[in-house]
Amino acid sequence: MNVQPDLEFIRSLKEAGGDTLKKCYQCATCSVTCPLSKDGSPFPRKEMIWSQWGLKEKLLADPDVFLCHQCGDCTANCPRGAKPGDVLGAIRAYAYTFYGWPAPLAKLASSAKGLPMLIGIPVVVIFIMWMISGAMHIPTSEQFADHGYQQFFGHWGFKWYAKNIFFIVLIMVPSLGLGLFSAYKGITKMWKTMAENEGVNTDYRPSAVQFVKEFLWPSLVEIVNHDRFKECTDNRDRVRGHQPLMLAFIGLFIVTCWSLLKNDVIGLVLPSWHGPMSLMDPFKILANVSAVALLFGIAVLWSNRKKAEQELGTKATFYDWFLIWEITAVGVTGLGAELLRWAGAPALGYIVYFLHLVSIMMLFLYLPYTKLAHLIYRTTAYSFEKYRESAFAKK
Amino acid sequence: MTDEHGTSGAVLVVGGGISGLTTALEAAEVGNDVFLVEKGAYFGGRVAQLNEYFPKLCPPSCGLEINFRRIKDNRRIRTYTMTTVKSVSGGPGNYEVTLEKAPRYVNSNCTACGDCSDACPDEIDNEFNFGMDKCKAAYLPHEMAFPRRYVINKDALSPAGAEAVEAACKYNAVDLDMQVETVTVNVASIVWATGWTPYEPTKMENLKYAESDGIITNMMMERMAAPGGPTGGSIVRPGDGKEIESIAFVQCAGSRDENHLEYCSHICCMATFKQMTYVRNQYPDAQIYVFYIDLRTPGKYEKFREARMADENATFIKGKVADIVPEADGGVTVIAENTMIAEKISQKVDLAVLATGMQPSLDIQGAPVPLDMDDNGFVISNFEKAMIAAGCAKKAADVVTTTQSSTAAALKAIQVSRR
Repeated sequence: MNVQPDLEFIRSLKEAGGDTLKKCYQCATCSVTCPLSKDGSPFPRKEMIWSQWGLKEKLLADPDVFLCHQCGDCTANCPRGAKPGDVLGAIRAYAYTFYGWPAPLAKLASSAKGLPMLIGIPVVVIFIMWMISGAMHIPTSEQFADHGYQQFFGHWGFKWYAKNIFFIVLIMVPSLGLGLFSAYKGITKMWKTMAENEGVNTDYRPSAVQFVKEFLWPSLVEIVNHDRFKECTDNRDRVRGHQPLMLAFIGLFIVTCWSLLKNDVIGLVLPSWHGPMSLMDPFKILANVSAVALLFGIAVLWSNRKKAEQELGTKATFYDWFLIWEITAVGVTGLGAELLRWAGAPALGYIVYFLHLVSIMMLFLYLPYTKLAHLIYRTTAYSFEKYRESAFAKK
Repeated sequence: MTDEHGTSGAVLVVGGGISGLTTALEAAEVGNDVFLVEKGAYFGGRVAQLNEYFPKLCPPSCGLEINFRRIKDNRRIRTYTMTTVKSVSGGPGNYEVTLEKAPRYVNSNCTACGDCSDACPDEIDNEFNFGMDKCKAAYLPHEMAFPRRYVINKDALSPAGAEAVEAACKYNAVDLDMQVETVTVNVASIVWATGWTPYEPTKMENLKYAESDGIITNMMMERMAAPGGPTGGSIVRPGDGKEIESIAFVQCAGSRDENHLEYCSHICCMATFKQMTYVRNQYPDAQIYVFYIDLRTPGKYEKFREARMADENATFIKGKVADIVPEADGGVTVIAENTMIAEKISQKVDLAVLATGMQPSLDIQGAPVPLDMDDNGFVISNFEKAMIAAGCAKKAADVVTTTQSSTAAALKAIQVSRR
């Protein structure tokens, strides 16, 4: 075999936490100790040698890279300190940048050098929006008590469309839209590459309904239950952080949808439905429980990572920490804004709320390029794995 | 014979295995006085436990016997068994070494008639056979033991046993009141030939050594294959004595692993090929599986490897066994990834042999005096201080390499003592 190592690729893996990859001597202890590795397609031993050889194409077309949950059993048992779990994490980081669109934004989100820009973009956008919305003033305590942050971007006379929502939509929908579009582009490209690499039979394509029913839904159930996460023996603690965090995101998603419906659909007919929810409102309870779960989850993950860095010598990377910081920022500013509303501190409240919007926009906008991208790519890999085993793909 | 204070240029050799024997003989046969000190009750060390040497496949007993003969005939060598180094003072050229001699409870009247052992009602695990069988608390360490003198494990002796053993001896050789003795010797240089210990297999938790009789170490295999071993030479599964239809050799069990021994133990590949021969001679149709990372058979050993690999009922799998599952029928399933085809393999076998490596004995028990040692516990020779490493105390090695390094150590010991 004529191997042309892609040195640039190997270098980027080393920077993203895979600096130990050259230590691997292919004993395959990792493939056996990995609780998620399947008999017919064991990993991560093969990924280790592909990385050493710089075989980028093979790795980017490999679902196993995304099926790894980095539980660290392989790293703990590795006789050479090659840390296969960390190397696979670095490969994923590379893949998100590779599949990310538009490429400059993906590249920006891949290193600490881009951090000022990453924060700067949403800060400037939201600040400009705040200026052009004409609201630009801190409310009185009475106004703040009545409306909370619902007039952050001011209000106007149209009954049919609240100005505040208009601006929020103006910011968040394009951000989320760009994120989702990029994600869609990324996963279709990944799927195609994987299918080609696997040599699956493309004569029989599942319908959308079949796809959801047979591949996507079972994957989602597995993911929500954390079935695979729970197989890990080392680092079992991560489930304790990751599961509440994920459920918190689901909870907050539901609350956001309800809030949209309540304020901007029902609210149009029944104006009294506008305004902050009462504390006893079931959705408010869900929101607050989710906020606490989010903060608890991220705190566990934060401390686990610190511990891994101290005890296992895991390399501290921007890729890992950026997401932890982002989520922490979302949680702290969100809950902070709420507490400040109760405390009746409009000026400070508005500043924290502003930061909350910034952190959420960052989460949406950079979703497909940061570690959060595992949300879409790992789900895709789960689905692909099931598809690969199904009658559709068999020749 | 040398007097106990030693003449100028005397050499202390610590360890009485093949390395220490070689060093002592080489130094003594060119005219130096030698003190040969062995912690155990007999000379010959690990080599005495082997069934056959590779690559010639001959028993080590004849080589050892020649060495014992040379020692007996050499008046310049003074031997001490059950003796350890307690302290060293002075400097190169005139070290004063304090030796401590543990009580054997049998004196030099012993004729090795075996009456004490016959009379002894108490049994202990047979250490020589890695606990695979029992021996009496009054015992000869093994059938070829030199010095040919019984030993008594007083702690394991019941009061009735003590009485019986004393009464059985016709030669007044049993002395249960024997005390620890201290001996001081003066030497010019010290050779450390303290050898190796098989790496403790229970430390590899994933290999489940402690959980099944179907898992043994390569050194246990040597004892089982030996005619004087616990099974009289037949290779069977310990516990139920099942004959072997399938067997897996697990290479690098604890070696080349920074969680255990980070270095290659050098001998395990060849030991496994040798043991394949033991198995094949007893079981012409048995399936043999060898799981390895790399096969290391340098130089002339390549021929030996080629011959074993030509065996039609032997399968070589490139991939380290990282999990062993004990089965209800007494067998075990070994699990590895066959890296050549990137598939996991779970192979059920009657017996798994862990090719455990060599840990320097001083790494376990600690050096009695400050020595230059590397991170793994191997001794680094310091010629300025006349402290010289030999054999497996110096590096993991086969017998041939060990005897070469021991000869070299003898020469160095002489050189530094004559400065």
